[in-house]
Amino acid sequence: MPILSVQNVTKDYLTDGQRVRALDDLSLEVSRGEFVALVGRSGCGKSTLLNLAGAMDFPTSGHVLLDGVSTSSMKDAGLTQLRREKIGFIFQSFQLLHTLTVFENVELPLLLAGKQNARATARESLIWVELEGLGERYPHQLSGGQMQRVAIARALIHRPSILLADEPTGNLDTSTGNVILELLRRLTREQNTATIIATHSGEAATLADAVVRLRDGKIEDISRR
Amino acid sequence: MSRLLLFYRLIVRPLFREPVRTALTVLAIALGVAVVLAINLAGTAATGSFRSSMETLAGDYDLEINAAGGVPESEVGALAALPYPVRVSPRMEDYAVIADTQQTLPLLGLDLIAESRSRADTPSDVNIDQPENALRYLGDYDSVWVGESLGRKPGDRISLLINDQVHAYTVRGVYPDSNGNASAVVMDLAAAQAVLHKFGRVDRILAKVPQTPELEEWQRRFKEKLPAGVEVRSAGTGTDENRRMLGAFRWNLRLLSYIALVVGAFLIYNTISVSVVRRRVEIGIVRALGASRRSILAAFVGEAACFGFVGALIGLPLGRVMASGAVKLMAATVESLYVSSRPGPIELNSASVLLAMAVGTGVAIASAYSPAREASLVSPVEAMARGQREYSTRVHKTRDLVCALFLGLGAAMASLAPAVAGKPLFGYLATLLLIMASALAIPALVEGVTRFSSRPLGRILGVEALLASRSLSASLRRTSVLVGALSTAIAMMTSVGIMVGSFRQTVLLWMGDQLPADLYLRPAGNAAADRHPMISLDLVAKIARLPGVAAIDRLRAYEISFDGMPATLGSVELSVHRSYHKADFLSGRSTNEVLAELRDSNAVIVSEPFANKHHVRAGDSIALPLGEARPSFRIVEVYYDYRSERGSILMDRNTMLRYLPDPAPSNLAIYVAPEARLETVRAEIEQAAAGHRVFIFSNRDLRGEALRIFDRTFAITYALEAVAVIIAVMGVAGALLALVIDRRRELGLLRFLGAASGQVRKLIVVEAGLLGLLATLAGVALGFALSLILIFVINKQSFGWTIRFHWPVAVLLGALMVVYVATVLAGLYPASVAVRLNPIEVVHEE
Repeated sequence: MPILSVQNVTKDYLTDGQRVRALDDLSLEVSRGEFVALVGRSGCGKSTLLNLAGAMDFPTSGHVLLDGVSTSSMKDAGLTQLRREKIGFIFQSFQLLHTLTVFENVELPLLLAGKQNARATARESLIWVELEGLGERYPHQLSGGQMQRVAIARALIHRPSILLADEPTGNLDTSTGNVILELLRRLTREQNTATIIATHSGEAATLADAVVRLRDGKIEDISRR
Repeated sequence: MSRLLLFYRLIVRPLFREPVRTALTVLAIALGVAVVLAINLAGTAATGSFRSSMETLAGDYDLEINAAGGVPESEVGALAALPYPVRVSPRMEDYAVIADTQQTLPLLGLDLIAESRSRADTPSDVNIDQPENALRYLGDYDSVWVGESLGRKPGDRISLLINDQVHAYTVRGVYPDSNGNASAVVMDLAAAQAVLHKFGRVDRILAKVPQTPELEEWQRRFKEKLPAGVEVRSAGTGTDENRRMLGAFRWNLRLLSYIALVVGAFLIYNTISVSVVRRRVEIGIVRALGASRRSILAAFVGEAACFGFVGALIGLPLGRVMASGAVKLMAATVESLYVSSRPGPIELNSASVLLAMAVGTGVAIASAYSPAREASLVSPVEAMARGQREYSTRVHKTRDLVCALFLGLGAAMASLAPAVAGKPLFGYLATLLLIMASALAIPALVEGVTRFSSRPLGRILGVEALLASRSLSASLRRTSVLVGALSTAIAMMTSVGIMVGSFRQTVLLWMGDQLPADLYLRPAGNAAADRHPMISLDLVAKIARLPGVAAIDRLRAYEISFDGMPATLGSVELSVHRSYHKADFLSGRSTNEVLAELRDSNAVIVSEPFANKHHVRAGDSIALPLGEARPSFRIVEVYYDYRSERGSILMDRNTMLRYLPDPAPSNLAIYVAPEARLETVRAEIEQAAAGHRVFIFSNRDLRGEALRIFDRTFAITYALEAVAVIIAVMGVAGALLALVIDRRRELGLLRFLGAASGQVRKLIVVEAGLLGLLATLAGVALGFALSLILIFVINKQSFGWTIRFHWPVAVLLGALMVVYVATVLAGLYPASVAVRLNPIEVVHEE
């Protein structure tokens, strides 16, 4: 069974009273261990699809099923619980909290979920992203690549079923970006996570198990390896 | 014009995007302005004229002649017989209470024959319509004339309580009394002398003299003809004396009102700082497009001026409304502690409007200057660089802490300096330095506390507390300003609370010594510091004969003028006083030892405020105007006295009777025999007092009454504190709102990371709670230091009272708890805004 199933999803936004269609009758399935790249021009609907997949937003019509459960049927508390257990997010601009140390940033999802042994798990997560020893540093003491690794460690700390990454290499130079993409692909395999990245990067597309090409809110093409 | 347009687009228009926060800032300024204006208006109305009720009715005379106990009537003839074209107007002056309304009014006895003759050239404020007609009623001692504001008409009967008896009178006429400002009960001089039992004496003689020679020469000529104890002063001297006496009261109250504005200034500083931080990129762009540093400075100062101007506009009517409440409290205090006076109308004149506008706009501009200057120094490249930290943490904690220590040292030194022209200027300087020192020390406090407490807090209260603590520490500058504002308000509340609590406790202890009698008796009517109605001698004799009465202390008081200031001259019966009384002297000498020196000799004891006001001490000699004589008295001792700030002189009753042979007492202190029951004796006294209007207080009642007056006196102080705290709490709400808006990305991110909406709410509320806690810590520490200056420097130098330090623990804890809860509640609205943020929008904004 796919971990993510997007079924005939349409998403409209109201902008200054005007209805703007971001996704148009889109369907997609992603399974555990799959590394999927969403590609397309700005405004084609990549981020909207990630937000729906992450239970951060609801479709205007259609269904988004996470592990077989429709997000539209859930209330705020249920969605929060879903994010805590099944979803990890990675952002283009890292989105680390500058007031917290690396350890504190990484363990934040577990602390928000009220889980025990957060520090030990955070240490383990940092080992996955090869940042052991930097746990007491603050984000401003790290390079861009290191910051994104911290963000990945944070996204993986609760062993999510789905990892959603929005332009994860957008703020990095090419070689660092490639390292990050390799890391994401490795972790997808090792952790048996379904990883979906929205990207402009050609390198990402070559590394992905499936490349979903979006255009005007519709899937133009899906190429699988 | 184009600059104005730019100012509107870049500065004014964004203010409307956050209407709640803008409104809170404007309202904070409005409240600050309103308080200053209210105290100013109410002060002017309650005491501004500094004219006692009697002075209001004096009319246009040049000189006034008076003496303690009254001027012999024969002197009126002597003055009138002088070979100069002078007019004299003898007067009886006392107070009467209208029996059915309990309204206290000046009672004026005028020589109606002389008044009718001199009316043309000596216009009086009491202008009896056709006084020549009044002559018809000269023989009728039941004739009175009243002001038209009383609503009586000729022929009406009116019952008046004069001293301790009610007398019935017929209204013969009414006169225009300026809406009550010149309201009085007027009767013929002889009738007044009869009802007041002051035969052969008048209370005051007013004189109108020709313009040449100089007034001083007339004063000298009159003085030559009059006995030594009779004083000749220029008319209005009493007003000047009252002005001096009330100076410290008004001055201190006015300064207290400015505290609210200081708290407001902190908040304006914060608002403009936030504005600057948020618009760094915009500043960079407009600088790159050609704006000068001066334009940037002017823009942000202009923003503050807008807040100040609009705040002042709202503060004007608000202040006018607040003044109505304040004037009642202030007038009651003035009457209890200083002088019988009638509050005048509250006048919102152009000077008041100017004051409000200047204060509101001035404080706003002054407090905005520093962040505005910082904005003007931002270089375009730095401002436009991406990744610029949201908050500048360039707070020089260590340097500021060192400065704070030096300022604290300066405050300690300033507090040791003496008063300047009777004003505790160095005391005020010390408080200002302490507030500044505290403001500078706060960043170090905030960082220290948050650094060591964030992890333990996180463990105890959850990850939200950890995030809240780190966030406060990260935006150190903003947090420090907020904590500074709130802690200043808390410090003010704490210091005034400690001062008032200490004062109250001191008065309680003092009353334990000073009120030893079982029952106290005084004529009915409202008490006032300068009114001393008398008790009939026959009633005193009846009470003395009651079997349950062991002893009576007959106290008599007169109003005198000493060294250009009003004072109370009193006498006590030493035989009774020595047996029952345990006076408290500054030197610590025993009561018996001191009182023995007073017996039948020209020796007095003076109250602490008197000694401080007139710079006298034990061993000095003072000359007192007593009747016709002006004998010299040796000051035996200085005693603690918290009755009134006027200052009192106390002598043996026998000594006073030698100079002022009027035996009627003003008050009685009655000691019940050990075998008698208090209630029985009280009932017997009430029976004996039938036909007299007196108030009988048990010892407990009197203490309760004294404390009621005490608490009423400080009610306005509490009101001022409350406003300052409200402003600070509003500031916290506004600043938290700004913080939520500035940190929306972080709050949205937390939702992505699995935070429930309740956790986001808790984060903001915990932040408010931490702010409140930090402010309480700083505020209590600062408040304690300020209370020492208030008690031992400002109060001592302003009013001359020794107050023993006392922690009013329960009151303080209660007040601090209320403020703390209010601060936490202030976080609720920003918290709800935080919960409503759309995480997708705010996280993808960058």
